[in-house]
Amino acid sequence: MRKTGIVVLSVALASVTCAAHAQGKSAPKDAVLYFIWPRNGATIKGAFWCRFGLRNMGITHAGDDFQNSGHHHVLIDVTEPLDVKEPIPQDKSHLHFGAGQTEALIDLPPGKHTLQLVLGDAKHYPFDPPLVSDKITVTIR
Amino acid sequence: MRDKIRDINSARNARDGAPQRMLTPRRLAAIVIGDIAGYSRLMELDEEGTHERVKGIRRDLVEPTIAEHHGRLVKTTGDGFFAIFDSPVEAVRCGIVIQQNMQGRNASLPRDQWIEFRIGVNLGDVIIEDDDIYGDGVNIASRLERIAEPGEVYISGGIYEQIKNKLVCGYESLGDRKVKNITDPIRVYRVLPDPAAFNKSRRRNNVLLLLASCVLLAVAGGALWYLLSQLYATMRHQALAQALLAAPNGPSLLAPLSRQPAPSPQPFRPAQSPAPVEPVTQGAALRTQPAPSTTSAAKQAALQPHPAPATPAPAAIREPEMIAVRGGSFTMGSNEDATEKPVHQVTLKPFAIGRYPVSVREWNECAAAKACAFVATGNDDSPVTNLSWSDAKQFVGWLAGATNKPYRLPTEAEWEFAARAGTQTRFWWGDHFQFGMANCRNCADVPATAQPVKVGSFKPNPFGLYDMGGGVDQWVEDCWHKTYHGAPSDGSAWIEGDCASHVIRSGSWKNDERYARTASRFYYDTNVQYPTHGLRVALSP
Repeated sequence: MRKTGIVVLSVALASVTCAAHAQGKSAPKDAVLYFIWPRNGATIKGAFWCRFGLRNMGITHAGDDFQNSGHHHVLIDVTEPLDVKEPIPQDKSHLHFGAGQTEALIDLPPGKHTLQLVLGDAKHYPFDPPLVSDKITVTIR
Repeated sequence: MRDKIRDINSARNARDGAPQRMLTPRRLAAIVIGDIAGYSRLMELDEEGTHERVKGIRRDLVEPTIAEHHGRLVKTTGDGFFAIFDSPVEAVRCGIVIQQNMQGRNASLPRDQWIEFRIGVNLGDVIIEDDDIYGDGVNIASRLERIAEPGEVYISGGIYEQIKNKLVCGYESLGDRKVKNITDPIRVYRVLPDPAAFNKSRRRNNVLLLLASCVLLAVAGGALWYLLSQLYATMRHQALAQALLAAPNGPSLLAPLSRQPAPSPQPFRPAQSPAPVEPVTQGAALRTQPAPSTTSAAKQAALQPHPAPATPAPAAIREPEMIAVRGGSFTMGSNEDATEKPVHQVTLKPFAIGRYPVSVREWNECAAAKACAFVATGNDDSPVTNLSWSDAKQFVGWLAGATNKPYRLPTEAEWEFAARAGTQTRFWWGDHFQFGMANCRNCADVPATAQPVKVGSFKPNPFGLYDMGGGVDQWVEDCWHKTYHGAPSDGSAWIEGDCASHVIRSGSWKNDERYARTASRFYYDTNVQYPTHGLRVALSP
C-alpha cells in the first residue's frame, strides 16, 4: 500500500510539474481491432451475439490504466467521425463495454446496419490515432 | 488424449486394416491444448448447468475462434479441446482470444462459478491421422497446459522463438521445466496479454517501479522546491511588509506558507494512475489540511451563521433541497422506443426527491468525510459527474448515515413520475421540443463544455424540480431490464435479474433532445464511471 502510495504520489507530482495530459494515448502500431462475428455482409435473424477481437493489446476494465490496454465500444449506424479530444459518446448508438466484455447480445431492428468497434482508454477517450475496426454491414431479417 | 504416447510402429500395427495410411503424413504444427481448470468441482456444483455452459463455450467461442485463426479443431473432450495451426502466431492469438473472452464471461459471475481454461501451446512434428494427431509435440503441449495457471497461456521455447518479434504482448520466462515422461527439460514462457496477468507481473515489478518513482519523485521534488522557493521569496517580502505594518498577527505569517503544498495535490484526479482509489483519499486528506492549520480562520468560520465551504466538520451537513411528492397513479413508459414498452400503470406511495441533481459541492462534503471515493473537480454548483452506480450508492449511504434520514436513490418509477409531474406528453412542457428548455445537445444557448451548466439553470417542471431531462444522466436504484415486461407496478425498484448494469435517466448535456424525454431510459455498467453520469437523491417519508 505504501509503495503504491509513493509511486502514485511521484507520478502525480511529475504530471503536475510536466502538465501532462492523460488523453491522446497511442496504441501499438500492430494492434488490430476486428469483429470475430458477425462477418461483413452477414444476414442475421433477430438478436445476435457480437464478438469483439483484439490483437496485440489487452482488454481491461474502464478506469484501469494499464499500458497497451483498453475497453471495447460498438458504434451502430454512426456516420459522424470520432473526436479524439472527447470521450467516446454514450448513447444508443455508442454502446460501451467498460466492464471488459468481449462480446455482447445485440438486438437491432430489421434492416441494414453498420457496426464498428472502437477501443477506448481508461477514461473512455479513443486512442490517437483512433484504434477502430473495419466498419461492417449486417442485415437483420 | 494427453497420455497417448504412441510409437509410430504400434500405431501402424493398430491400423493394419487400413493400408492406405502406411505413409502417415508428418508435419510441423503449432499445437494448442486447452482444458478447464477444476472441471470436476464445477460438475459437482452444478452438473447440468456446467455441461450446458461448457457446450455453449465450445460452440460460441472455442470453435469459431480456432476457425478464425485458421486452425483445425482436432477433437474435444468433456472439458477440453485440442487444435493445430500452421502458424505459431495464430495459435497463440487463438489462445489469448479464448482467455480474454472467458474473462469477460466470468466477470459477472461469482468466483466459484468461473470457468477457466489452462492453455498450452507447443511447436512440434506431428503425425496426422483422420481422427487424431500424435507425437511427443502433442504431449509437450499437454504438459504445458497442465502446469499453466487457470486463465493463462503457457508456450514452449520453440513457439516463443517464432512469435517473440511478431506478437506484441508480454512474455515471462519461467525457465526450463522438467516434465513427466519427456527426457529433456522444456523452456516455458507465460503469455501476459490480459489485465489480471498484468496485475500479477506488476506486483513483481514493484521494486523496479519504486526505483523509477524515486527518480520521478526527485525530479518532481526539485521542480516543486524551485517553485516553492520562488513563492517563498515573494511571500517573505509580503510578510515582512505586513509584519512591519500590522503588529501581533503571528499565525497569518505562517498560514500562507503551510497552505502552499495544497495546490499540488489538487490536479491529482485528472492525472492517470495505476491505482485509482488511493490517490483520491490522499488528495482528500491533503486538501483538508489547510483548514485546520489556519485555526483563526476556522474559528471565525465557526462563529459565522453561514458555514464556510471549507468547514471540514461532518456535524453540519448541507442537506439537498427536497420536494415532497404525494404519490398516486400514472402511466409509465412510451411507444417511442422498444426499451420504453410496454406502457403500464404504476401506483406510488409518497416520497421526496431532490430539487436538483447532487452538486459538486454536495459531493465533496462526502469526499471530505472520506465516505466518497474521490474529490470532484469543477464548478461547485454544477452537477457532480463521472460517477458509477456504486459511487452514487456510496453518496446516498453516507448522506443517510450522517443525517440519520432514509436518503436513497430514487426508483425508476419514482424518477419518471417526478419527471412527468402529472403530464403524459413526451416532454413535461408538451409533445414538441422547445429550444431553451433543457440542457441537452443543441438544445439551448449554452456553450458545449466538459461540465454541465450549474444546477437549476433551466425552468423547473410543474413539481418544482429542475433538470429532469438533460443536464446529467441520473442513476436510479433499478437494475437494467431492456423492456418493462414483468416490471413492478407499485413503484418499487426492480432489482431482480442481471444487475451488472443499472438504469440511468434524464439524458445528459451531451445527448440530443430525444434523451431528455420523460420516458427515455438507458443503462450503463454498474461499476464503471463515465463523465456524464451523476445522481439525484430521494427520501422515504
